[in-house]
Parts: sequence; C-alpha cells; structure tokens
Amino acid sequence: MSAEPILRVRDLSVGIAGNARPILADVSFDLAPREILGIIGASGSGKTVLSRAIVNWLEAPLVVTGGSVAFKGRDILKLSGGAMRATRREIAYVGANPMGALDPTLPVGPQIVEKLHAVAPEIGREDAKRRVITLLDAVRIPSAATRFHDFPSQFSGGMMQRALIVDALVSNPAFLVADNVTQPLDVTVAAQVLRLMRELTVSFDTAIVFISSSLPTACDAANMILVLDEGRVVERQQKDALVANPTHAYTADLVANTPKIWTGTTPPRTPPVGEPVLSVRGASRSYHVRKRGSFAGTSEVRAVRNVTFDVHAGENFGIVGESGCGKSSLMRLLSRLERPDGGQILCEGVDMATLSGRDLLAFRRTVQLVLQDPFGSLPPRTAVGAMIEAPLRIHGLGDSKARRERVVAMMREVGLSPELYDQLPLGLSAGQRQRINVARAMILEPRILIMDETLSALDQAEQFKLLALFETLQAKHGLTYIFISHDMALVRRTCDRVAVMYLGEVVEISRNERLFFDPGHPYSRALLSAIPTLEEKRYRTEDCLLDGEPPNPIDLPVGCGFAGRCPNAFDRCRVESPVLMARGNRDLAACFLVEREAAPVLEEALA
Amino acid sequence: MEILSFLARRIAQGLVIVFLVSGLIFTLLRVVPGDPVRLMAGGMAPEALINEIATKMGLRDPIPIQFMRYMGHVVRGDLGESFVRPANGASTGGSSFDDSTRGARAKVLDLIGETLPMTLQLAGVAVAMALVISALIGIPGGLAPGRWPDRLAFYVSSVFISLPNFWLGIVLTLLLSVKLGWLPAIGYGGFAYTLLPAFVLAVELSPVLIRTLTGSLASIMQEPFIAVGAVRGLSRRRIIANHALRNASVPLLNLLGVQFSGLLGGVLIVEYIFDYPGLGLLTINAVLQRDFPLIQGIAIVTSAIFVFINIAVDLAATMIDPRLEY
Ligand SMILES: Nc1ncnc2c1ncn2[C@@H]1O[C@H](COP(=O)(O)OP(=O)(O)OP(=O)(O)O)[C@@H](O)[C@H]1O
Ligand code: SF4
Ligand SMILES: [Mg+2]
Repeated sequence: MSAEPILRVRDLSVGIAGNARPILADVSFDLAPREILGIIGASGSGKTVLSRAIVNWLEAPLVVTGGSVAFKGRDILKLSGGAMRATRREIAYVGANPMGALDPTLPVGPQIVEKLHAVAPEIGREDAKRRVITLLDAVRIPSAATRFHDFPSQFSGGMMQRALIVDALVSNPAFLVADNVTQPLDVTVAAQVLRLMRELTVSFDTAIVFISSSLPTACDAANMILVLDEGRVVERQQKDALVANPTHAYTADLVANTPKIWTGTTPPRTPPVGEPVLSVRGASRSYHVRKRGSFAGTSEVRAVRNVTFDVHAGENFGIVGESGCGKSSLMRLLSRLERPDGGQILCEGVDMATLSGRDLLAFRRTVQLVLQDPFGSLPPRTAVGAMIEAPLRIHGLGDSKARRERVVAMMREVGLSPELYDQLPLGLSAGQRQRINVARAMILEPRILIMDETLSALDQAEQFKLLALFETLQAKHGLTYIFISHDMALVRRTCDRVAVMYLGEVVEISRNERLFFDPGHPYSRALLSAIPTLEEKRYRTEDCLLDGEPPNPIDLPVGCGFAGRCPNAFDRCRVESPVLMARGNRDLAACFLVEREAAPVLEEALA
Repeated sequence: MEILSFLARRIAQGLVIVFLVSGLIFTLLRVVPGDPVRLMAGGMAPEALINEIATKMGLRDPIPIQFMRYMGHVVRGDLGESFVRPANGASTGGSSFDDSTRGARAKVLDLIGETLPMTLQLAGVAVAMALVISALIGIPGGLAPGRWPDRLAFYVSSVFISLPNFWLGIVLTLLLSVKLGWLPAIGYGGFAYTLLPAFVLAVELSPVLIRTLTGSLASIMQEPFIAVGAVRGLSRRRIIANHALRNASVPLLNLLGVQFSGLLGGVLIVEYIFDYPGLGLLTINAVLQRDFPLIQGIAIVTSAIFVFINIAVDLAATMIDPRLEY
C-alpha cells in the first residue's frame, strides 16, 4: 500500500501510574486508508488498552508512558480536550459491550443525533435525523424510522451493536476502532456484523482496526494480522501466512488449538444404538409473561414446541441453537425441573411427569445436570469436599466415613487433588470449579448427564482436558451425555447425533457427519456458515446467511419459523409449517425442500 | 393508553388508601379518651345535657354507623362543620354551653380551603429550596467521590440532619428578622413571610436528598455509557447534564415522594413556630380542641394529597426512565 497511512502508531507504551510493569510496550503499526487491520491476543494481553490508547481514551490509572499516535500527521495524544473532541468526528470507536453504551433512559436514534450534533454542529437537526435513519436502514435494522424512537432496552444485542456502528460511522470518520465487537453476539448475528463491517469500509471509505480475541474472526475480517502478547507486538503477517507459518509460540498454539470442523482428523465414532434411555414425545412448554402496561394481560412465550427425539444409551447427544431458541427450557424439561405442558418425556420407558416420591428421587439419581456458570453455581462458604458430598447426604447414602471415601475417590477421578477436600472454592480456576460441578453430578452414579453450556466459559486447553475426562468417565461408567451448546465446533468434536433448535422447535436431527457435511435444514447451513474457523468454509456466509434475527417467540409467524431469514424460502413456507421428515439413515429435517429431495429416495425404496 | 390504565389503577388504589386512612383516624378519634362534647359544652355542663347533645349529634351511635354516615356526606363534598369554630373566624372556647351559635359554625371545607393554599405555597417553596441546595452541594459531591466536594456534601448533610427545626427556626428568626430586619418571620403578610419557614423546612429535607443525589450520581458516573460518551465526542458538560443527571434524578424523585410525608410533620412544627396560617397550624389547633370533624377532614385531604403526589412522582419517573413499569 503506497498511500500515506491514516494512522501511524510509534513505540506506544502504556503503564499504570506508580507501577513499573508496562501494559503496552513499544507498539508500532500503520493503518492505510480503507485497510482493515486485525489485532489478536490472549485475554489480558492489552488489546483493549491498545484500542483505547489509539483513540486517546485512556482513563486513570492507565497513562501513556511513551510514543505517539499520529492521525493525519498530528499526534492526537498531545491534543487538548477541545481539539480532541473536534477530532472525534474522524475517529470512531465501537466496544464489546453494546448494551451498556447508550443512555438507557433515552431513545437510540436521538442519542445518535446528539452525537452527530456534538461533533458536527453545522448539520441541522432534521438533516441529522434523516442521516441517522438512512444509516440505520443501511445496517439493516428493520423499519429504521420507527426503531429510531425505540429505547436501548428494546434492541437486541445484535441490533444494538449495529446501531453503535451507525453511531460510529454517522460522522463519516477516517478510521474506526472495533474492540471485540462480535464477542457478545450469537454466531449468525456476529457473522452478519462482520460482513457489514467489511462492506462499510468500502462504502464509507473507513479504515478499521479490528481487535478480537478469536483468530478465525480476525482472519475473517482482516488481511493483515498483528499478534499482541503481554503488551508487545510479537508477530505481524498476512493472515494466510500467519496461519500457515506462525512464528511466535503463542500464535502457533492459537492456530493449533483452533478447532477444525471439516478437515479435522476426528475418527468417526459409530454411535451406539442401544435402548432409548430418554424419549421425548411431542413435548411443549409455554411461559406466560406479563404484557407491558396492561392490567392483567399476559403473552404466551412458546419456548419449546412439539419436540420429539430419542436419546440412546451410551450416546453423546447434542442440542444446538442460538440464544433464546429454547435450549435451556428443553433442558429444564429433560431434567424434570419443570414438566412439559404438552407431550411426554419418557425416561427408560416411564413418563417422567408421573414420577413422585421415591421414584422421583431415583430418577434424580439417574439424570444429573451440570450447568453453565462455573463461578455462580458453587456456594462460596462451603468446603469443596462437603459440596461434593451434599448430594449423597440428601439422598441418605452411606455413613459419613463411606461418604468421605467416595468423595475422595470421585475427586481423584475428575482430576481434583484430594487436598482440596477441606478448602473453600475461593481462588480455584474455572476449570477446577467445573470439575467440582462434574464431581457433584457424578457422585450419585447417574446414567445420564446433561451438560448445559458446561464448557462455554473455559478456554480451549481446559475444554480439551475436560472433554478427555468426559470420555474416560463414559467408558468407565457407561454414561449417556446430552450436550447443550451454542458452540458448533464443540458439538462437532463430541456429539454422535445433534438436534438443531430454532424458535423452540427441533428443525433438524442428524448424525454428526451428515449435519456438518450435508445438512438438511437451511438454518443448520446458516449456523455452519457462521462458525469462525480457519479452514476453507464448506458453506459461505454469502449464500447461507440472510439478515435478521430470530423473531420473538411471543408473536410467532405463521408457516415455517425460519421463513423470514431463509434464503430458500418460497410461497408455501409462509403458509404452512414443515414437520420433521426423514432424509434416510435416521436423519430428519423440518423443511419443505427435504420433501422434494426425499421423494425420489422413497420411490427407489418402493421399486 | 398505558398511561390511562396506569392512572385508573393508581387512582383506584388511592381511593382505597384514603378510605382506610379516614376509617382509621375516625376510629382512633372515637376511642381515645376525651369527650369533645365535654370540651365544647364546658367543664361545668351537666352530664345529662352532654349526653343529650352527643346523642343529637349522633356521637353515641356505633362507630361504623357514624363512619358510614360521615363518608356518605364526604362523597357529596360535605366534610361537615367544625365543632368549635364559628364561621366568622376566631375559635370559640368551651366556656359557654349556650348553644345559640351552633348554626354559625365554620364549614370544615372552608377552613381547609383557606389554609391549604398557604401550606402548599410553603411546601412548594421549601421543596424548591431543598432541590437547589441539594443540587449545589450534591452534584459536585457525586462527581468527585472520595474527594473534598464529596466530603463537604457529607458534612453539610450531617450538620443539617442534626439541626432541630424548632431551634433553627428560632435562631433564624432572631438573627434575620429581629436583629437584621431582612425578612419578616411571624404570621403572614405577603410572600416574603414564606421564605424563612420554607428555608427551615428545606434544611430539614435536604440531607437525605443530598446523600441520595451524591450516591446515585456517583454510581451513574460509573456506568459504561458515561465513559463511552467521551469517546463518542460528547463534552463532559453534556454527558453530565443530559445523561448523568437525568439517570440520577429517578431515585431522587422517588425519594421526594416518600419525603412528603416527612414534610407534613415538619410543616406542623414550623407553622406553629412562625405562626404561619397554614394547614399545620389548623391541625394543631384542631387536635388541641378535639375538633373531630376538622381533624377528620384534614386527614382526608392530606392523605389525598399524599396519594396524588405519589402518583405524580411515579408518572414523572416512568417518563424519565421508560424501563420502569407503569
Ligand atoms: N484500568 C486499569 N487499571 C489497571 N490495570 C488495567 C486496567 N485496564 C487494563 N489493565 C491491565 O492491562 C492488561 C491488559 O488488559 P486488556 O483489558 O487490554 O486486555 P485484553 O487483551 O483486552 O483482554 P480481553 O481479551 O479479556 O478483553 C491486563 O493485565 C489488565 O489487568
Ligand atoms: S421450509 Fe421453507 S422457509 Fe423453512 S427452512 Fe425450508 S425452505 Fe426455508
Ligand atoms: Mg478487551
């Protein structure tokens, strides 16, 4: 790139007042017009500090200890408050917390107008408003003119992030710093935002510094990647070269630990076809929420709709979907924390809803739950041993000596040092805490373990270790696992069969290989296209991902729930709802297109 | 529409509250010792006469029947007549049981109608003063947590809280009115007479307002949207004025609603000290004279005002913060 760089960062160092350890040390890079520069690094490597330093927005106790950030030849770190504020028109920033970024008590649109007015006072109110609405439309916020007057709490995370991109771009800045913007978003929404940012560099002539903790995401967005480790730039390469030959140890690790979906060498496990241990038969569950601003009106949220599947003994069954699709509601049904209000769930042939008393207690021993949050779910004032022992005490199993022996054995089994027995869980890592949770569930020797986002909060290395542990436990105790997750890569690695949920319905149930190589439902394809990976994608976002977000489960559309976002939707999809249809080999999908392709198969079979 | 259903619901609730308060006061007044007829007729009146008057006035009927009869009048806008006050103004003592003036007793509604505007003026000025004082002291405090403006706010509110209102009223009267002659103090003869008593009330109201404002502003200033405002190019003035104060005013408003009940207590004392012809003074005299209909009327009116103010405050709060449910 021969053009004069917009931003020239030289030897930038940042420290904490009164502390010798630098947070950033001698960071230098250039940003050319219209370039997207990716910056990656581990948590705590200084990405956020860097992103704030280059827009001159450090707050105490952080201080710049050296170097310069030259924007159009002027060091912005030396600008006075007023001059800097004027420059904000040219320098925009979008952060990782969209929901907190605007005043919750004022509508979104007027706040963007306010910002435009602050940095470009010569633009009249009416013009500013028109411009904001045009831009909201450009980032594909549905019915932008009405949404303009909505409050932040009425926006979903993805919409809010797009509104903030509008807020950043409304003054036509020369460059934009995006710090982990996709991190809080669902995969399909994150993929949309990413695509949007790429388009915008072209149409708005804006250069972007794209900061991310995920290598695949950064590679999706940018060509040139800078790697930050402990506040230093340790590597900078074109993305392909970086993935092919990482030079720094951290980068190499990162590349090696990035899960592979299609090119991996996962030995395909033949899913055991044992007895069904858990049969879900048309289970439904609705919740009633109070309607805003009415006397007694309630709306019905249909969280789980007519779900049917079997889980076989010894199987790893996956349930995937984006936030709000009903995964956790289904989990509550499967573990009988709640009863379905339609349909049945059979555990080893017995309807769970009819269980009570001793049978229910026995059922609770059979099915155990391991939850998402490794930090919130442990009582902080109870010793580790007592915590693991609690279920035994509740079920009245063994005397105290026998219980202690069992707890210690279990701690060994899940890889917790028995020395932790008398300690409080304070200061334990997320991985260790999650092991405590697993031990608590395993101590009752359950047959089925339901894992609700159990590994989501852990980093790659910890995930690997726990997965290995799960495998060992399964081999030894003949466990059946149900993994509930939004993480497709994790599901690819662990599950034999996967149910894909959308808007409370199961839209596809397929074996692992089939789902990832030949998905039956357009939504599954959209999910696959949105997985951040370093591989050549089998499904391109451009073909598989339309805009929009899942509709609210309160006002469900007629016809196929996915029709509003489906690239393949046709007339029939808007009037009629597809049901799960066989695609051969026990794989099912709920899409009219399956019918068409399935029909010939059927004829062949008849012939 | 949401506002209308909110109003309908709250007004219905309010009516229930007013009804219950009236019932409670009514019952209390009739079970506490002290016979109003004895007071009216004078200590020397024969027992038989007292009983006769009381029976004529319906005071010997069962309490629920008295109450229902009373409420029947109230809903028609009739709060009854004072036991002791003649229509011409001065309160009659209980020295004579000659009943010739009974026809000319003052209407409770008129008595309240004369004094209520005075008290509303006093309360309004007091709240305005309290808000100005709390803003001047609380906002700098909230913007500089842990530093001297914060400590100043703390000390000022601590001092204010420990000043007894009667003491402050007397000291200020002696200083500003008697010694310096700047402000009139006793009685009422124009707006200037409101200032001193209002200030005394404001000092009483301020400490909690100052603390709430300092605290809520300090915590709002920690919110991400305040920090993000700076990088979005908003000036600090604008961030504070348009966003921080707006958010911080919600707890303040809610507090004001609650404080009004406290204000009523203060009004009693302050009006008494300054001989300010408001509802407070009327109340004190009514209680001293066991003027049941008047006490009862004042209770209904004040509880209605209380209900009204709380509705207004909640309405204002939901207007500022749309996340609050109606
Ligand atoms: N305000 C602050 N005061 C003190 N230390 C800070 C402050 N902000 C950041 N740090 C330190 O600076 C280092 C870099 O933090 P930074 O937030 O930039 O990490 P990051 O790369 O953005 O991590 P993540 O991926 O988790 O967002 C960390 O060691 C952090 O503890
Ligand atoms: S039924 Fe129609 S809208 Fe639904 S997924 Fe299939 S093609 Fe798309
Ligand atoms: Mg960060």
